[in-house]
Amino acid sequence: MLDFTNLDFDQLFGMKDDTNPLMMLVWILPIILFVFYGQRIQLYVTSGELKKGIKKLDSFRKESRNELIDYLKKNTSLEGDPVKKIDQFIDYFTIMPVDMDPNGIVDKVQHTVRAREDYTREHLKSISPQISDFELSKVQTLLEIASSLQMIYKIINHMFLTAKKQNNYPLILPLQMILPFIMEQAVAMKDAIPAFKLGQPVGDGIGPMVVGKMMLSCKKEIISFQTFLAKTNFEDRTLYLLKAEGPGSTVGRPADALDVITSDSKIDAIIMIDAALKMEGEDSASIARGFGAAIGGIGTERFNIEAIATSKKIPIFSIVVKQSVSEAITLMTKEIADVADDVSAQVYEMIQENTQKGQSVVIIGVGNTSGVPQ
Amino acid sequence: MFSKKKITTAYTVEKCTKCGMLKKRKFTEGDVLFSESSKCNSCGESNMIEKIFGEILEQ
Repeated sequence: MLDFTNLDFDQLFGMKDDTNPLMMLVWILPIILFVFYGQRIQLYVTSGELKKGIKKLDSFRKESRNELIDYLKKNTSLEGDPVKKIDQFIDYFTIMPVDMDPNGIVDKVQHTVRAREDYTREHLKSISPQISDFELSKVQTLLEIASSLQMIYKIINHMFLTAKKQNNYPLILPLQMILPFIMEQAVAMKDAIPAFKLGQPVGDGIGPMVVGKMMLSCKKEIISFQTFLAKTNFEDRTLYLLKAEGPGSTVGRPADALDVITSDSKIDAIIMIDAALKMEGEDSASIARGFGAAIGGIGTERFNIEAIATSKKIPIFSIVVKQSVSEAITLMTKEIADVADDVSAQVYEMIQENTQKGQSVVIIGVGNTSGVPQ
Repeated sequence: MFSKKKITTAYTVEKCTKCGMLKKRKFTEGDVLFSESSKCNSCGESNMIEKIFGEILEQ
């Protein structure tokens, strides 16, 4: 039996010529272990972290589904049990059009997305025929959140299980890298639920908030689906104010509205007000001005606005309020709400700087108009 | 492990349409921006909801 109380350390650590064979094993065994099983050990360590993240994603998707069903049961008169239909809606997927030939792809994407929206709206109405448009927009947003969280969970879980099944460490690396970003988005979506349920304004609503205030004393009309127009004057210029129909949770269809306005009247400038994703290190609620169409989403609205502006040679100016992903979709922060008047002042300054008396300007408040009427 | 729990409280700011006096209170369900709410304590004119926002408290 080896006597550990009487070890010669000089010999053990190879300081003399006659190296201890035990010392050789101490060096060689880990090398062999890491050469042949290194990836498996790393996979095991990383799996622990990923499992925690996936468990959280699973709880988020369940929470969002239950919140939606609870909201429907408490706030709407239902025809039968909605659970089965809601579970079907949550699992609905959208197959984007083939883009091998990109010609006409925007129209195809727009058609697919709008068809999905129309379908969801009609089927939610079938669950609760008496539902008001205001409640319907809230339920539709809650459904989108639940559906997105379900999709995120499924994709991340699939990637994780595939890597585990194949014992493939390189496959798990990209997952480990993207998970913090995915978690940030998922947490933001989960945190957005109370704001949409209560019909509160979210950070993304800063554009509609500014334009809604400018519209207050004006006559308003619906110009396109879920989109309001108000006409007013400012220093001998005609202003066409556009925003989504509040206080429901919707972004409206500003491109369709712009198309109607530009086909009826000569427009000299377009000013868009929107929330923009801040970069790390940038202050939240800071205001920035620029050129080009400030509008997010899948890209179809932006494409159409740019196409109209290009064909009619109308310059597009933008004012954005910087914020994080979380701030954009959760209850508006005090810092963002406080800059609304400043943004409004900058809009008027922009009109004075970029247009002459007698000209016309379209001002679009872009974003989700939850809690922001006109 | 040492992160503090964050609680968001929603507030509504009302502004008097006549004297411009501001009043901050907790958000109540049904509050939407630009809608008329209570009467102004100072001049009795109606207040309009000017802002709705959340403030985060760390516990």
